[in-house]
Order: sequence, then structure tokens, then C-alpha cells
Amino acid sequence: MEVNGRRVAVVGMGGVFPTCKDIGEFSDKLFSNKSLIREWDKLKIYGKQIRASSCGFVTEAEMNLEAVYSDIVTSYPEVYIDHLERIPRINMATADIGSIWAMLATLDAVRMSGWTEKETQSETTGVVVASGGGGNEIIRSAWHGFFNMGMKTRVAGSHNVDRAMFYREAANVSCLIKNRGVCESIGSACATGLGNIGHAYRLIKFGVQDRVVAGGVEGTAIEAFVGFDGMHILSKGFSPEESSRPFDLHRNGFVCSFGAGIVCLEEYEMAKARGANILGVIDSYFNNSDGDGDMFYPSFGGQQRLWKGLIPKAGIKPDVVKVHGTSTPVGDPVELLSVVDFLGKDGYHISAPKSQFGHMLGAAGSVEFVAALLMLREQKVLPCLNSVTLNPELENFQKKEGWDGPMEPLAAFRDLLPQKTLEKEINTIACLNYGFGGTNSSILVSKDNS
Amino acid sequence: MERQEIIDGLVEILKTVRTVDQEKLVNVTEDTDFLTDLTTPSTELINIAAKAEQKFGVEFEDDDIDELGSKVRDVVDLILKAKARGDS
Repeated sequence: MEVNGRRVAVVGMGGVFPTCKDIGEFSDKLFSNKSLIREWDKLKIYGKQIRASSCGFVTEAEMNLEAVYSDIVTSYPEVYIDHLERIPRINMATADIGSIWAMLATLDAVRMSGWTEKETQSETTGVVVASGGGGNEIIRSAWHGFFNMGMKTRVAGSHNVDRAMFYREAANVSCLIKNRGVCESIGSACATGLGNIGHAYRLIKFGVQDRVVAGGVEGTAIEAFVGFDGMHILSKGFSPEESSRPFDLHRNGFVCSFGAGIVCLEEYEMAKARGANILGVIDSYFNNSDGDGDMFYPSFGGQQRLWKGLIPKAGIKPDVVKVHGTSTPVGDPVELLSVVDFLGKDGYHISAPKSQFGHMLGAAGSVEFVAALLMLREQKVLPCLNSVTLNPELENFQKKEGWDGPMEPLAAFRDLLPQKTLEKEINTIACLNYGFGGTNSSILVSKDNS
Repeated sequence: MERQEIIDGLVEILKTVRTVDQEKLVNVTEDTDFLTDLTTPSTELINIAAKAEQKFGVEFEDDDIDELGSKVRDVVDLILKAKARGDS
């Protein structure tokens, strides 16, 4: 349980973001109301097999990486080369593209944290990182060689397991930084990114660890894109930069994207004592399940209970709610109405970063948490881009018997959703993410005002 | 291909979808609604469409699936439309 007096500070952040060379460019583009979503040219060879084409992707070349392909099994990346020599070759050998991003983001975050080598390698430093992972290039090629081409198992290489296992990102980060505390991954679909940060927060809050590298990753993978494309739930029919449009009347699905977000958490008094630059203080973490028995459909009741768990003391009101806001037809209105039901109709703003970079799946929660930290630093609310028209009519579920939420259409809450970056005093931000299976996660993070 | 022949084929498909209430498959007509009458989970409609493509040897347009209604009639119309496109 919680240890009295222990608080948790965020002291470092890093990431991999579409169309951005570093976190500075990421911040500049976000606050300039730009979209990081592009047409994914790599999908063109599949023609009509694939329905959608807008994506927030990151190429190997953009990260100064290069894949070395097998000459035995076509398209199998045997290993990646780091042209900037940021990661030792022994660590590159055990990593898929997502694990490499996790390591690169960790190097940036740890550098920013100012942790010494002794602190990083301590028994009280942990690693909690995961991806949502629906498959990747490594597994595809390895299985193709064995099942379809009748090759020996060793043709897939001796790194097929470490480059494809769940927890590979955490394992690779831990081997890179050589921490001696816990190393694990927490999976909760699209809540994974926030869930890992939340679990890391608890490890510190409960006195188990003093420092944790935490976050989520989703390496660029056609497999992940194809899975959602087959469900017909990806945005279609808009230009790439207009394709992610949370809360807009004409939205028709989310934009599948990729990236990584890593943060360094530290026990607050320790961070303060060594003069660390504190990017934010985590006030509270709460997660729960819908309990509706539905794998996909969002739950108003589940989200109401989420808010009650996140903000136990009446009267605390965040200045910004960083929503999950995927741009799917049902998810958005249920979420907005649950926020309004708990917080009321004014006094805060809604920020939907997926409108700018799409849905990074297992990385979504952590990259959006990084976006929240940037909002605290810049004192600006990131926009709900493309939320041009809000529904002036009630949603169908609002008309059904048993609905006990707000009885106003989304258009009534127009003022909560800025369409461009908005300057205002921000002390506290609530971050929300949900995942398949009815899992919900939330964090309250504040500026360090001490 | 006659419409009733297509309905019979659809019922055969529905017998393989375990989340559909099998007892309700005795009197399927063009007016039967997948969602409200057969209590098919909406996420299964894509699977039913994919199975129909295979069974009837057609390929639907993505847009047609996106705009597909939830009645048996809608799927029958879609199959005939795809067949006509294939024959032309």
C-alpha cells in the first residue's frame, strides 16, 4: 500500500515521434497546430487489400537506423544498424524496431533526469515498459520461413525469441541501462502506455523502488495496421492531416500510428534533494474495468467510476483533461459525456493529442503523457484538431432507456474543445486512456509548485 | 442466382458463427435484422461479410461494407450487386 509522505516526480522524458527528429521538434509542431500524420507509402504495394492509408509512422532512415535483411528469408531484418552509434551493437542484436526506439527514448530521458550511473544501476531503479503489439516483421518472416518454406528453425536466427517476446522492450532497456531493480511489462491494449507509467508510480509510491524508467512503445508494423484495417475501424476518406478528427461529427475511425514515449520517475524528496528539474508531480493514478462484459464498447459507468477513483477529494478540478479521444464514432461521445458528467460544463479544457499524431496503440498513453508534460511546461493546451463540427443532435445511446448521463448534445460543449493551441494557466492535467477488454486508466499530474 | 438461394446460403454461414443465437435461424427472411433479431455482435458483421465473399465467390467494395445495413436484405442486395459487377 501507499507509504505516507512518498510522492512521485517526473524528472526525464524522451520519445520517438512521427516526422520529428527529437522531442523539441515534436513540441514545436504540436503547439503550432500541425499534424504528424502522412499517407503511408509502404502500403501501396498491397493495393486494394488494405482499406485505409493514413498513418503516423516512423521510418528507419528517419531514426538514423538501417535494417540488414536476410538473404535466406526475404524481408527478415536480421539486425539493425545504428548509424549514430547511440546503442552498443550487443544491444542492437537483441532488439526489434520498437525495442530500439525504447532504448533511444530511454537514453534521452535518463540524460534529462540527471541520474548518475550509480543511481541508474541501483537495486532501487526499475524498468516498466511495454507495447500493445499485434505482431511484427520479425515474427512474420520467422514463421513464414518455418511454416511455408519448410526451413530449419535456426534460419529464423537465434534472436527470434528476445526480439519478439512480450516484455522485449523492458528487457532491452534493462540490459542497456543495467538497472538492478524490477524489470517488467504491463499489458492493457491501448491503455498500456499510461498503465506502465501508473504501475511505475505505484512502485515508488509503495516504497518498492526509488526510480523507474516507464512508458509504452509501438514499433512501426504493417501487422498492427492490418489488424485494425480488417475491423473497418480506421479513418478513411479524408486527407492525412484531416483524418484524425476526435469529436467531429464526420469522424469515421481512428488513425493507426506508431511511436514511443518514455519517462523517468523518481521519489519526489530524492529528486528535490539533488536539485533535479521536475517536469511534473503525479498526484494520483487509478485504473479499473468496465464490468459490462463487452470487449469493445466503451462504458459510461466504467468511466464514471474511473473519475471517482482518480479524484477522491471533492473540489479538485484539473485545468486540462487530456482525453483518449480516438476519433471513433461511439468512443468519443461516451468519453466527452463522462468528463462533463463528472467535471461540469466549464472551468477546464479538453485536449485530444491523437488529433495531431493519431492513435499510437501501446504507446498512446505514454506519448500523450509526454504531451501533457509539454503542456505543463509551455502553459498551453494542445488542440482538438479537426473537431470542426460537433453533433447538434443527441447521440442514439442518449435516447435509450436507462441512459443516466448528460441529456445535451456534444455541440453544447463546444467551448471546452479548442481547435487551436490555447494559452492559459495550467496547474493540473488529467490523462485518460482506455483499451479493448474494458480497461480504463487515468493519471493526475501537476506542476511542481513547491 | 435467386434471392432465396442467397438467404439459404447466408443461413449456412450463420450456423458457423457461434455468437449468433442458433435457435433463431429457423425463420430467417429478408426482413430479419442481424443485430436486433439475431443478436449478432456488431463486430461479427465483418466476419459474416468476409465469409459471404468466400461462399458466393464475390468481392465487396470497402465502402459498401462501411455503409451496409443490418438486415438480411442488405446483404442479399450487396451480394447481387457484387455478382453483377463481376459478370459485367
